[in-house]
Order: sequence, then structure tokens, then C-alpha cells
Amino acid sequence: MLPFLKIMVRNLILGPSTDPFPFAPAKTPDKFRGCAAHDPEKCILCGICRHVCAPGAIQIRVSEDGSGMNLVLWHNSCVFCGMCAHYCPTGAMTMTSNWHLTHLGADKFSNCIDSFIPFGECAQCGAKIQPRPQAIIDKIGQRQPDRFLLCPQCKRESIAKHVAQVNHITTHETPQETP
Amino acid sequence: MLQFLSKLAPRSPWIYRINAGSCNGCDVEMATAALIPRYDVERLGCKYCGSPRHADVVLISGPLTMRVRDRVLRVFDEIPYPKVTVAVGVCPVSGGCFRDGYSVGSNIDHYIPLDVIVPGCPPRPQAIMEGVLKAVEVWRARLEEGVCSHS
Repeated sequence: MLPFLKIMVRNLILGPSTDPFPFAPAKTPDKFRGCAAHDPEKCILCGICRHVCAPGAIQIRVSEDGSGMNLVLWHNSCVFCGMCAHYCPTGAMTMTSNWHLTHLGADKFSNCIDSFIPFGECAQCGAKIQPRPQAIIDKIGQRQPDRFLLCPQCKRESIAKHVAQVNHITTHETPQETP
Repeated sequence: MLQFLSKLAPRSPWIYRINAGSCNGCDVEMATAALIPRYDVERLGCKYCGSPRHADVVLISGPLTMRVRDRVLRVFDEIPYPKVTVAVGVCPVSGGCFRDGYSVGSNIDHYIPLDVIVPGCPPRPQAIMEGVLKAVEVWRARLEEGVCSHS
């Protein structure tokens, strides 16, 4: 009799242990890994998220008009492992604590992230390169600020000129003009 | 009389679980949603039943492996119409981590129409409850339409 009274008094003080979910918002921990979110402003199209995605939920494709890339993350294939957010060098990929992903079967293919990332332009020749958002320029572009915004070919030429200047080598810049 | 019953019926959906080759993660979450008092799906009127002939809402987990495919389809055919299918986890709809595996032929939705999808690997019990509530809405709409034809 006494143990029962003790349990009863404790339950009266503590209240019900049932999570009141459908009638009130459920308790969600702050670091709960729900669906992923993508910020196209920070993305540099390195593709590491697609590489580490275990179920292959991320696709990166050239858009139809060729002016950028489309990053598509299908929530119905994502297993919330968080590897994309862990390896993303700029923090464009993040895991939110949103777990309200239940949807009707008719919407199964529209339940995805579809973000468009435009290509950047080479500062010298205007060729299409990976985007260079300001956040990533501040982070890793400070060492060679002028060379960071170039396409690979212009960058190689710039490095070669720099090496030639340092080593006092005469270069034949325009061999076509020589008679 | 039938209309009166179809108004009453969605207050108490009977749930049946089918494990179509799942890794047991989603099954543990489904059992958690039903058994422990913290989530307690039975206060919503839901009841897990042991026989497919009594079921109204079907929870399917797993990518439908080749080995269980025929058995799952046989059990699924025994469930009376109108049945509402809830895909628990990402495996039934896309295959998840097991997609293109040697033992996984194709996704469940080539064989069984999925009405409600609860993505997650595994989804948390509250998400499963959300899915069951959505399935009950679908079921109510079907009862009101009187759709009892074989799909």
C-alpha cells in the first residue's frame, strides 16, 4: 500500500509523461538533425556534398540555359546523416531541426530542395568559373586576392609571369608578332 | 447506416505493420510510437492489430527485398478496401541506402500505391504519428467518397 501511495504522489507532482504532440508542439532538441537546408548564396559548387552523400540524394546538374548549376536534394532519399553539412567548406549546406516532412504520396517528387547557383566570371577573360561569393573570398581568397578570381588558365599564366619576373627570365609573350 | 458507420470509423483506425525487408530501425520506432507511454498512439484511437484482415491503415517499412516481395504482396492483398498505405522511412519510396542493392529489385511504389510518406531514417515517433493522422484524413475522404473499388 505504501509504495503505491508514493508512486501516486510522485505522478501527481510530475504530471503526465506523454508527449502532447498532435495537440501541442513536440519537444525537439536544438541539435536535432532534421531535413537539410541549402543556401545558394554561399555555395561554391565544389560537389563534396554529392560525393559524401551515402544514399545519393544530391544531384548537381548544369541548368538548361547553361548559366549555372542546379543542386537538387531529394528529401525522400536523404537519411539525415549530416555528412554534407559536415564536409561543406563554406557552410552552405546545413541541417535544420525541422522534422515535419510528412506528405502525401502525390507530392513525393516535389519534396526536394532545388536551388540554382549561377556561375562566376573570370575577372580577366570572362570565362565561366565556379562562383566566388564574398564569404569565401573573405575566408580563403585573402592570400592572393587578384589571382583568386581568375579561371584556371588565366591563373596559370599569371603564376608563370610571376615566376618569370622573380627569376629574371625573358618571356616571349607574343610570338606571332615577331617577323 | 453505412454512412453513419463511415463517419464513426475514422475515429478509430486499426493499424497493421508490414516489414518489407527493413533494417528494423523503423520497426523499433513504430513499436515505440505504440507501446511506451511517452508517445502513446493509442490515445488517438489507433490500435495495432495482428491480422491484416482487420486493418485500416497499413504502415510499410523497408525497401521490399526480393525475398519478401511475394509474401508482402500476398499479405497486402488480404487487407480490405479502402486501405491507406503509409510508407515509414525513406526505403519504401526511394530505397534509401539500399537503392540498387543486389537484393532490392525496385521500390515499393512500383507494386503498392503509397498514400502518405513519412521520410526519415528512421523518422521520429512524432513524425510517424503525424503520418498516421494524415492517413486518417485520407481514409475519411475515401470513406466519404465511397471508393471501395479495387485499385
